Amino acid sequence: MKRRTSPLLLGVLAFAFLCQGLLQRLVIFDTWSKDYNPGKGKMFTGAMSPDQMLAVLGGFREITAGILWVKADTFFDQGNYDAILPLIRLVTLLDPNEIDVYATGMWHIGYNFTDEEQRSDRRYIPSALALGKEGTRQNPDTYELFFEEGWLWYHKIDDDYDNAVKWFKEAQTKKDMMTARKNLLGMAYQRTGQIGNSIDTYYNLYDEAVKRYQTENAFGNHQNRDTLESNLDNMLVRKVQRGVQAELEKRPLTGYDADPPFDVGFSVKATVVEPNIIRFEGTWNVLPVGTRIRVVLRDADYPHAKAAGMEWDYSSDVNLDPPRDRTFMQEQLFVKNRRFNKKVDMSKDPTMYPFTSDKYVLEFYYNPRSAPPHIQDKFSWSGEGLTDKNYLRTDVRPNQRVVFCSIPITRDMVKRRGEWVDKVPVVKTQNYLESAPDAGRGDDDAVLKIPSLRGSSGK
Amino acid sequence: MRPILAIASTTVGEAIRRKVLLIILLIGVLFIVVAPGLGILSARSETTVLKSFMLGVIQGVSAIIAVILTVYMIPNEIERRTIYTILSKPVQRWHFLVGKYFGAVASLFLMMVLMSAVMGLMFFLQQQSKNPGEVAELMKGPMMYFVQMSLLAAVAICFSTFVAPLVNFFLTVGVFLVGVFFNPLFQSLQDNQNTAPMVKGIARLVNTVLPNFANYNVQNPLINPTSAIQNEGRYYLGITVYGVVYIGILLIIGILIFDRREV
Repeated sequence: MKRRTSPLLLGVLAFAFLCQGLLQRLVIFDTWSKDYNPGKGKMFTGAMSPDQMLAVLGGFREITAGILWVKADTFFDQGNYDAILPLIRLVTLLDPNEIDVYATGMWHIGYNFTDEEQRSDRRYIPSALALGKEGTRQNPDTYELFFEEGWLWYHKIDDDYDNAVKWFKEAQTKKDMMTARKNLLGMAYQRTGQIGNSIDTYYNLYDEAVKRYQTENAFGNHQNRDTLESNLDNMLVRKVQRGVQAELEKRPLTGYDADPPFDVGFSVKATVVEPNIIRFEGTWNVLPVGTRIRVVLRDADYPHAKAAGMEWDYSSDVNLDPPRDRTFMQEQLFVKNRRFNKKVDMSKDPTMYPFTSDKYVLEFYYNPRSAPPHIQDKFSWSGEGLTDKNYLRTDVRPNQRVVFCSIPITRDMVKRRGEWVDKVPVVKTQNYLESAPDAGRGDDDAVLKIPSLRGSSGK
Repeated sequence: MRPILAIASTTVGEAIRRKVLLIILLIGVLFIVVAPGLGILSARSETTVLKSFMLGVIQGVSAIIAVILTVYMIPNEIERRTIYTILSKPVQRWHFLVGKYFGAVASLFLMMVLMSAVMGLMFFLQQQSKNPGEVAELMKGPMMYFVQMSLLAAVAICFSTFVAPLVNFFLTVGVFLVGVFFNPLFQSLQDNQNTAPMVKGIARLVNTVLPNFANYNVQNPLINPTSAIQNEGRYYLGITVYGVVYIGILLIIGILIFDRREV
């Protein structure tokens, strides 16, 4: 005998089905998406979504991430840097709360890919920044990745310091920010030329440090207070001596260290001594050591390029495969006895310097904001005490007086091909003097007398 | 109610005597005991790895136990013909099915309590009593897993009324995986601007109709307690009610099918 289906049971079934659907859609899903989704904080990656990967691995994602990171450490010890990149990506996708992996990954991507002469592969810098940005989105409650992002701008990119300030300020808002690291915001403000903000930062930190020392009489607190006091003293003295205070009070700069601006007499000659090997020679009239002039050799149409650099922050995608068909060489030319002379060998690293384009550009750049304090004592923070008859530029970086010059060069010249097989390619600035051993240096009276805080010449 | 309880208590006794379940349970407990040694895998994140691993073990082992325990339950009774002796008494078929389900859930509860207790103890010892409140916090995970596994057991019981155990095993595991997948997948589809509206609609429909096991994966904020979660209690209550309602649906479907089945 066939049994009859109870209409009541069917009714209950339909009602229950409706209830569960409403519960899922109206009550549960939004809360889950916001608070329990393992990949919350959207990942900007074209790869497999982290949610899917996490779901596959279920509850074991952190342990898997840990094992992979141990493996990455092994690769690192072996110098197998390329193998680490996918692991970094995988670990951060598996466990977006692995702050150390983000921080180490940024450092690794930004610093460790180098050529035979230990020059970093700058094509990776946007990826390092993007990884850090993703880390901050995934870990918004801790200071570390905000700080690391700022540090990459401050130390590695060593330019565009407004970005360093932005990230350090963000790090400062986090409860767990390390006391000793807070000082860097003051340093970064200096490098943006915001002297008032720098001093305010130091005053605030000093007040905090005094209170902390009064509360706990520990050596670290004592040391921190004294360091801040010293920083503050230096800043106040420099602010006055470099004429910033006078400028604020609209007084003439006469008599202050940054006045009159000093002509650095920049000139350069680049000689392709062998295929992919270039010697840079030139002049810079500053005698005290500590000057580093940036030289960049890049594709003329390098994506997102700007004067002596690029829009480093152009991407939020963590792309660990940089434009491998492009070339971006960046090096520092150290000045000694008012001259620089450096051979840059790009012949041993064809993957880093592929030279596949036809046209390239050589750029030379000096920004006083990156200069050491004893040089800044003359040039001041934004180049107020710096000039160059030929290459002073005020349009290259906002509100800064920098030295910049750009010289086109072709692939055939760099690789000594075509018409350059039997000729030595040379490009130079018009003011470069070939004949004299002191070419372009000018007379000795033009040597910069760097004032120090003690008032000596520094010569 | 009495027949249901009698069947449930017999089922618990049977489950506890099944060696395969005890071995799986023992392996799970052993994994939890060795878990503190795995902290070396992540510098500064020992606690994270420990919590992740222990919760993962409890969830994984519970899922295996829930499936193995339930897929054979009804077919074995039919195959051994023991069902006749039960149904010849004043016991309705739905009594039998519900009793079996409650017995399975009670067995699961006992086993999960054991694993959770070991987890709590190991975590407490590893933390050296630094924060006992954290142990209580951690227990939210197994509590929600229990609802998840009860739902999984209901799926298996429902299937066991009309398919063979092997097919049931794969069906149940498949539904579980799909259910675990769906919230993340739905979220991804919803967030992806390139997804066609029709695909989004289908994803939404499936997400609404199928049992959503991912709701119970609450371990992420427990493992990484970086952000305060608002309305946590409301969420837990919501998914518990959802689980109970869905279990009811599956049991009713199971009863309707089992009622018509020739045994």
